[in-house]
Amino acid sequence: MAKTRENFFGIRHLTVKYHSGNSIIHAVNDVSLELKEGETLGLVGETGAGKTTIAKSILRILPESSVESVEGDIWFEGKQILDMNDKELQALRGKSISMIFQDPMTALNPVKTVVSQIAEGYKQHHNCSKAEANKRAIEMLEMVGIGADRAEEYPHQFSGGMKQRVVIALALACSPKLLLADEPTTALDVTIQAQVLDLIRDLRNKLGTAMILITHDLGVVAEVCDKVAVIYAGRIIEQGTLEDIYDHPTHPYTCGLFGALPDMEKDVERLSPIEGLPPDPSVVREHCDFFERCPYACGKCKKFNNHMIEMTPDHLVRCWKANEGV
Amino acid sequence: MIRYVVKRLLIMIPTLLAVGIIMFTLMNFVPGDPAQLALGSGVHTEAEIEAKRVALGLDRPFVVRLGEYVANIFTKFDFGKSLIDGTDIKWELMKRFPHTAKIAIFSIILTIVVGLPLGIYTAVHANSVGDRVSLFVTLLFDCMPSFWTALMLVLLFSLKLKWLPSSGAKSLIYFVLPTIANSLGGLAGFTRQVRASMLEVVRSDYVTTARSKGLSERDVIYGHALPNALIPILTVIGMRFGSMLGGATIIEVVFSIPGIGQYLVNSINNRDYNACTGGIIFIAFTFALIMLLTDLLYAFADPRIKAQYVSSNRKKVK
Amino acid sequence: MADELKNKDSKHHGHGHHGGHGKKGKRHHRIDASIKPGSAKYVWASISHNRGAVLGMIFLALIIILSLVSPLICRYSYSTTDFAAMKSWPSFDHLFGTDDLGRDILSRVLYGARYTLIIGLLSTVLSAILGIIMGAVAGYFGGVIDSCLMRFLDLFQAFPSLVLAMAFCAVFGTGVDKCILALGITGIPGFARLMRANILRIRNMEYIEAATTINCPTWKIIAQHIVPNAISPIIVEIAMSVSRNGLASSSLSFLGLGVQEPKPEWGQMLAATRNYIRDFPYMVIIPGIFIVLTVLSFNLLGDAFRDALDPNFKD
Repeated sequence: MAKTRENFFGIRHLTVKYHSGNSIIHAVNDVSLELKEGETLGLVGETGAGKTTIAKSILRILPESSVESVEGDIWFEGKQILDMNDKELQALRGKSISMIFQDPMTALNPVKTVVSQIAEGYKQHHNCSKAEANKRAIEMLEMVGIGADRAEEYPHQFSGGMKQRVVIALALACSPKLLLADEPTTALDVTIQAQVLDLIRDLRNKLGTAMILITHDLGVVAEVCDKVAVIYAGRIIEQGTLEDIYDHPTHPYTCGLFGALPDMEKDVERLSPIEGLPPDPSVVREHCDFFERCPYACGKCKKFNNHMIEMTPDHLVRCWKANEGV
Repeated sequence: MIRYVVKRLLIMIPTLLAVGIIMFTLMNFVPGDPAQLALGSGVHTEAEIEAKRVALGLDRPFVVRLGEYVANIFTKFDFGKSLIDGTDIKWELMKRFPHTAKIAIFSIILTIVVGLPLGIYTAVHANSVGDRVSLFVTLLFDCMPSFWTALMLVLLFSLKLKWLPSSGAKSLIYFVLPTIANSLGGLAGFTRQVRASMLEVVRSDYVTTARSKGLSERDVIYGHALPNALIPILTVIGMRFGSMLGGATIIEVVFSIPGIGQYLVNSINNRDYNACTGGIIFIAFTFALIMLLTDLLYAFADPRIKAQYVSSNRKKVK
Repeated sequence: MADELKNKDSKHHGHGHHGGHGKKGKRHHRIDASIKPGSAKYVWASISHNRGAVLGMIFLALIIILSLVSPLICRYSYSTTDFAAMKSWPSFDHLFGTDDLGRDILSRVLYGARYTLIIGLLSTVLSAILGIIMGAVAGYFGGVIDSCLMRFLDLFQAFPSLVLAMAFCAVFGTGVDKCILALGITGIPGFARLMRANILRIRNMEYIEAATTINCPTWKIIAQHIVPNAISPIIVEIAMSVSRNGLASSSLSFLGLGVQEPKPEWGQMLAATRNYIRDFPYMVIIPGIFIVLTVLSFNLLGDAFRDALDPNFKD
C-alpha cells in the first residue's frame, strides 16, 4: 500500500452504495485502479455499470441525498481524497482534477454567460483579477474553436456540440493534471462526436494531462487510451493495456463485448449480442457477477470469484477460467 | 425590450376594459334601486325618486351609461360619485390607496426578507431538524385566517404587552401588526415554494459542474443555484404581492385603517354600488400592473426569454 | 485505517440526509409491496400510513359528528340567549364560556362547524364541476373555443381572489347559498386551468401516441389513459380547495358579507365578539382555533393525497 501511494493517482477498494426506497444499491464494488502521469485509462462498461459513480466519487460530487456510503482509498499525488476537508477539496476540484460531464445540455448554468462560467473557476484557483480570468477564459474558448465574439453569449445560444466544447474548455481552464471525461461524446451527433473526440485527444497531448475516459464505446477507447479497465456490475472484471484487452480479451464478458461489435473485415451474418441483462444491483450475490449470462459458467462459478488472475503483470482478469485458456 | 413592454401594456387594455364592463353590468343588475338608496332611508314619493333617477342619469339606456362609465374611467380615471354621500370616488380611492399600498408593500418585503433565506436554508438543509420545524410552523401559519392572526397579535402586543397600537394609521408604527398579520399566511406558502424551487435546482447538473470547478459551497449555492431558483420565484412574488393587496382589505377592517379595502367593505355593506364598482376596478388595475411588472422582471432575469425579444428586435432593425 | 475512512466518509456524505431518508422510507415501508401504486388500495394504504392525514381525518370525522348531534347532546341551544350568564368565562357550566348575549360558545362552535364545512365542500363541488368541464372542453377542442374560454377565465385572474369573492358577494347578497355561489365561481379558473393543462400534457404524451398506434379505441384511450392521469391532480386540488374555501367563507363572514347572525359561523362569531377581546379573549380565541384545526386537517389530507397519488409530486 505504501508503495502504490507514491504513484500519481490511484483508487483502492472503492465501494459505493446508494439507497433507493428501501433497498441498498451496490453501485461500485471494490474497484482498484492506478494511473501514471500523462496516461489515459479507458473505463468501459454498460449503462449502469458504475462508471460515472467512480468518476464522481473521485471529485466527491456524488449526490449526497442518495449516497449511503463511500468506502476505500482514493489518492492523488500522495493525498487521500476521501480524507480531505472542504478547503482541500475545493483546491483540488477544477485545479488538479477536473471533469467533463456527460450531458452538455444540462451541465452549463443557463443564466450565466459561458465566459463567466469558465473564468469563475480560473479566478477561484489563481486569485487573479476578473479581467485576467476573462482573458484566460476567452483563450480557452478559442482553443476549443469558439470565437471570442461568442464569449458573452448564454448556453442556450449554443448547439450541443458547441456546448460540449464549452464544457471541455471549462474543465481544462486550470490545466488540471487529471481529467475525468464522462462519456463526453454520448449526447452528441455522430459527426460531432468525432470532432469532440479529436479535440479532447489533441488537448490532452498538448497539455500532457492524464485522463480517465469513461465510455461504452470500444472504438473510442481504441483511439485514445493507453490502458483499459472493463467494468461490469460495479466491479472491474478485466484490466490491462490497450493491446492486452483488444488483442487478447480473456474474460467472457469482454469477449462478448467484442463479439457484439461490427467488424469490417469479417463477413458475419449477425452480430452476437450478450444474452440476458446485468444483475440487479440491489442484490448481494454469492456467485460470479456474470454467472447468469456466461456461456462458460459451471459449478465452480457459483462460488464467488473475488480474485483477479494475473495473465501478464499488467493484464488482470476476474475469472478463474482465464488460466485455463477458454 | 421596449417593444415587449409596449406589447404587454397593450394586452392589458382589453382585459381592463372587460373588467370595467363586467363589473358595471353586474352591479347594474343587483336588486335595489340606486335612486332610492341615494335618497337615504325614509319614505319618498314617486316624483322624488324619479327626479333623483334623472339627476343620477339613470333614466338613460343601460348601454349609454355603460359606455359613458367605461369612457370616463379610461380617459379621466373617473369612477363617478358615491351614491350615499356624493363624494368623488376617485379622490376617495386616491386618498386611501397609500394606506393599502403600504400594507401590501411592507408585507411583501417582510415575506421576501424572511421567506427567501428560510426557504434557501431549509432546502440546503433538507430534512434536518430545522427544516422539519420550519415545515410544520409554516403549515400552521398557512391555516391561520389572517383576521384571527391579527386579533391574536392585537391581544398579545397591544392589549397585554402594550407595545404596539391596535388601530389607526397615524405613523409607521401602526403598520407593524397589520404587516405581520397580512404576511404570515403568505409567508408560509412562499417559504415552501422557495424551498421546492431550490431543491429542484440544487439537484441539477450545472450545480454539480459548479462544485466540480472547486467553488466554495457558498458560491455554488448563492452564485449558481440561487439565480436559477429565483426565476420561478419572481412570478411567485408577483402573485403573492397581488394576494397581499387583496388580503389587505380584511386587515384594514381589523385594524381600522382607512384604506381601499375598508372602503370596499363599507360600500358593499351600505349598498353603495358606485363606490363598490370603483373600488374593485381600481384594485384590478393595480393588480394588473403588478402582474405586468412581474412578467417584465421575469423576462429580464431569464436570459432565455430576454434573448427572444432582444434578438427579434435586432432582426427587425436589420 | 479503513474504519476511520468509513466513518469519516459516511459522516461527510450522509449528513442531513439519513434522517430524511429514514422518514420518507418509513412512510412507504409499511405499505405492502404487492399493492400496485396508483390503485385505490395503494392510495388508501399510503394515506392511512400518513400520521398527519389520519389525525386530520379523525378531527374532521369528530367535528362532523359532533356538529350533527350537537343540538341533541349540548345542554344549551346555540341560539338561546341567557342574560343571567352573559360573558362568563369557561367553566363547568359553559366549557367554552358564553358570548356577549349569554349564548353557550361550545354549542355555537360545534353547530357552526357545519357552515364552514358545507360552504367549503359545496363551493368546491361547484367550481370543480364547472371548472373541469370548461377545462376539458378547452383542452380537448382547442382552437377558438380554447382561446375564448381561456381569455374569459383570464378576467377572473385580474382580481385577487378574496376581492373577487367579495365582488360576487356584493352582487349576490349574503347568506350560506350566496356564499357558496360566490366562492364556487371564484374557484372555477383554478380547476379549469388545471384540467386543461392536464389534458394537453397527457394528449401529447408518447404513451397516448403508442396506444393510438396499436389501434386502441378512442374511448379506451380516454377511459384508461387520459382520465386516470388527469384525475389525480384534480383530487389533490379538491382537498386544497375545500380548505381554502372554508378559510375564505370565514373571511367573508368576518367582513359581514357571508353567513349572517344569528347563524354561528366561526368567522362571523369572531366578528361579533372581537370588541370584547380585551376582557374576554376566549370568545375570540376559541372559534379561531377551530378554524385553524379544520383548515389544517384538510391541508394534511390534501398533502397525503398528493403523496399517495403521485410520488413525483414530492419535494
